[in-house]
Amino acid sequence: MTYHTLLLILVAAAAVAAVMARNLLLSAIMLALVSVGASLVLFDFQAPWAAVFELSVCAGLITVLFVSAVSLIRHEESKVAENRARFYAMPLVMGIVAIAAWFYAVPYFESLEDWARLGGRANTLGTVIWDIRRFDLLGQVSILAAGVFVVNSMFPRRKKQK
Amino acid sequence: MINSFSMDWYFITLIFFAGMYCMLVSRNLLRQFIGLEIMSKSCLLGVISVGAKTGNLALAQALIITMIVIEVVVVAAGLSLLVKNYRITNSVDIWSLNNLRG
Repeated sequence: MTYHTLLLILVAAAAVAAVMARNLLLSAIMLALVSVGASLVLFDFQAPWAAVFELSVCAGLITVLFVSAVSLIRHEESKVAENRARFYAMPLVMGIVAIAAWFYAVPYFESLEDWARLGGRANTLGTVIWDIRRFDLLGQVSILAAGVFVVNSMFPRRKKQK
Repeated sequence: MINSFSMDWYFITLIFFAGMYCMLVSRNLLRQFIGLEIMSKSCLLGVISVGAKTGNLALAQALIITMIVIEVVVVAAGLSLLVKNYRITNSVDIWSLNNLRG
């Protein structure tokens, strides 16, 4: 049981907790925990750039967005008549899927590994694309800013009533 | 004992299923977004796992950064639409969306 596997177990457990949580705020916080776990996995894969993006944007910005949305629709939570039995059945369904995937999906993934040698040839292409991509990094940052400005429509300025 | 790559993809399958189950079962719009986020997290882990396996880690990171940017914009736009919808229909039930009229 390595550190890597433990991190993946943490992510899976946080995902199940996020789905099963009755409180929407708790669900949003569990989603942040999923993001933190995913970014730790990325650090473990020696991918620090993607991990930093994941940690700052997904665990930070998206959590803020979810929490603000939850606070705006707060008193609505109890009114939505959801069938909780489906959520309580989730560990059972997850267990069935886990056992089935262990016996059916894992041999498929192991057979996929033979194809990794073919994909490994494009190593220079990766560095070229990564060098070229530095130009449109600014464009991506501006798209991110546009996404933040969309939040502006969530909090519209009220017009004065005459 | 199975190897590391298959172990990664085993957990990626489970995380993807958790998000899909959330989207299938819930009627709350916010939970739909949470399920979408969980699914996209599992896709992200899949991309980085394949990138590490084939030695294309730089390309995988570039793809992931693009994916995160798009994900943020989708979630921000979706949540703002949700709040707008809540102010109009006074509900976050997904079934309240079926009375859209021009």
